[in-house]
Amino acid sequence: MSHWLTQVLARGSQQNQATSPWLETAREESLAALHQRDLPTRKTEDWRYLPLGILNRFEPATADTGAYQAEPLPGLESLDLVFVNGVLLTALESLGPLEPGLTITTLADAPEATGAAVFNQVKPQRHFFGLVNDLLASTGVVISVAEGCAIKTPIRLVHWQSGGEGHTRHLIHLAKNAELCVIEQHQGSDSASLNTSFSEYQIDEGARLHQSRFALQTGNALNFGGCHFNLSDNSQLHSTLVGFGSQLARLDTDINHTGQHGHALQNAIYLLGEKELFDLHSNVEHANPNGTSEQNVRGIVGDKGKAVFNGRIHIHRYAQKTLAELNNRNLLLTRNAEVYTKPELEIYADDVRCAHGATVAELDSKALYYMQSRGISQADARIMLNFGFINELIEQIDMAPVAEWLQAALKDRISGLRHQASEE
Amino acid sequence: MSNDTLLSVRDLKARVEEKTILKGLNLEIKPGEVHAIMGPNGAGKSTLGYVLSGREGYEVESGKAVLDGKDLIELDIEERARAGLFLAFQYPVEIPGVSNLEFLKAAVDAHRAANDQEPVSSKDFLKQAREVCKQVNLPAEFLKRGVNEGFSGGEKKRNEIMQMLLLQPKLCILDESDSGLDIDALKVVADGVNSMRDGQRAFIVVTHYQRLLDYIKPDYVHVLSDGAIVKSGDASLALELEAQGYAWLEERKAQDPIELHQEVNK
Repeated sequence: MSHWLTQVLARGSQQNQATSPWLETAREESLAALHQRDLPTRKTEDWRYLPLGILNRFEPATADTGAYQAEPLPGLESLDLVFVNGVLLTALESLGPLEPGLTITTLADAPEATGAAVFNQVKPQRHFFGLVNDLLASTGVVISVAEGCAIKTPIRLVHWQSGGEGHTRHLIHLAKNAELCVIEQHQGSDSASLNTSFSEYQIDEGARLHQSRFALQTGNALNFGGCHFNLSDNSQLHSTLVGFGSQLARLDTDINHTGQHGHALQNAIYLLGEKELFDLHSNVEHANPNGTSEQNVRGIVGDKGKAVFNGRIHIHRYAQKTLAELNNRNLLLTRNAEVYTKPELEIYADDVRCAHGATVAELDSKALYYMQSRGISQADARIMLNFGFINELIEQIDMAPVAEWLQAALKDRISGLRHQASEE
Repeated sequence: MSNDTLLSVRDLKARVEEKTILKGLNLEIKPGEVHAIMGPNGAGKSTLGYVLSGREGYEVESGKAVLDGKDLIELDIEERARAGLFLAFQYPVEIPGVSNLEFLKAAVDAHRAANDQEPVSSKDFLKQAREVCKQVNLPAEFLKRGVNEGFSGGEKKRNEIMQMLLLQPKLCILDESDSGLDIDALKVVADGVNSMRDGQRAFIVVTHYQRLLDYIKPDYVHVLSDGAIVKSGDASLALELEAQGYAWLEERKAQDPIELHQEVNK
């Protein structure tokens, strides 16, 4: 067993934080499951592009617990919960009276009825780092929205990691016909750090969720994340994932159609440079008939960055009339940039519509010429074209302040991406 | 070259990959003039615009092209544009995700920067852009849409004219800006061009049809054939061509087997 995992298991068995009985029980199960596993190697298909061995040599920088101020998104009124280095800094009572129908507790304080109903009920057990997070998650929130309640104020989960380790777990439950918007924001310093953050969303009948994960950690951060969704009858999901690469970044997403007529739209973007790595694994389970899912995944990779996308769609035998679309487009900015993209379709029903496509290309030289012929410098034209490529997805975000904040952050990121591989 | 020449193209030879397309083209344009270039398909009409604008893959073998004292061949694509060259494309490119407004502002700001001017304020620019939009009869919503994204052929052509109005170039090359246009759209294009005629700005109008020249009156009409200008005249030449077609070019070649032989062996 790997050195790192041995330590994780030891820490998992010694979990001495005050937790509720249901969480203890759930953690014991995960501990037992993890005892049967080992750190995945490159021989495991799902992990073949990630050098997980660095975990065994991982030495985090000292976490700077100094003043971190979560900046608001300009123009957005949101309910902010701030996690710094895996610790919730926001006192829940400081949030004041919440909108009717909205409840927020910490993971440790969550009653069994809300906690156990979601914890590990959405995220599949197969996720290795999900199991690790089961054990190590020191903090997180449990958010419930009561039946028929449409929560107007978006909830923003702001994570900042400046070194050390941080493990967060969030459970969100939308009861029948409820509505909610959750923004998961992850940022940090470039110091060596390790972060696992998993969120599980149970979306009941007719409920509607807007969710975003902005995984914007860079530098020497190691990140393992997960966003998992259960869609009940007639429920709707609009999810936006954005990833910057870092030394090692992995995000897993699961969309499970546990009911009929659910609709999921997921747009994902990754922007990598230097020697950064980002690996997105997506899995859509159509276990019931009449569900629809649409996924648009776009990435730009510059310098010597490496992106991995694996998109699996599993249409079960009884999931007739499923409509599933998956599209992955990539732009490579240099000869040294790499993309590994793999759609994986498993279709067992015969009356479904399923489309997928993956492309890897360079910038359209005709568009570049067109812009230059109007006096725009080649460098600026490249930035505008790269930005335009992903902006098509950002424009689908309904909340203008979020879209604008993201556009500025992405433009900034794109301007820094190298169009020529750096020298050693 | 006299000071009063805006564009001087001398013995320009250019190729695409291994194929030489312009085979010694000469053209002198003075400020304020409108030159129409007509000719059969494949003569090199569009190539002239691409070569002058600096499109990648269009390689100049020899000859000169000087715009307002600047050697175009030496300049990058964007520098040529900032020097005052504008090519209205026959098939403008669609750029989803980049808004027309953002694109136009970047172009205008790049031109301003070349003249040591600050970028125009977003507010002023929006006002200006709305005005030119109106001038070419495009609804202002087109500013928000992706560059040419989902535009009809006519809308794309009008968008080109709008860019020309904003950038105020010294020399405009219209590459079949009339193709695929109905008569109303054709008038919009022609009105845009005519509104910009100020005695200084010059135009090269590349077209297959005399129709456009009813609205944009040329000072000169040139016939481009097999990479060179073989005949020049005044506006009446366009009418002649409309009546006769280009079959006479073939006859002309047939009458001169030595020249034909030389062309083939170039």
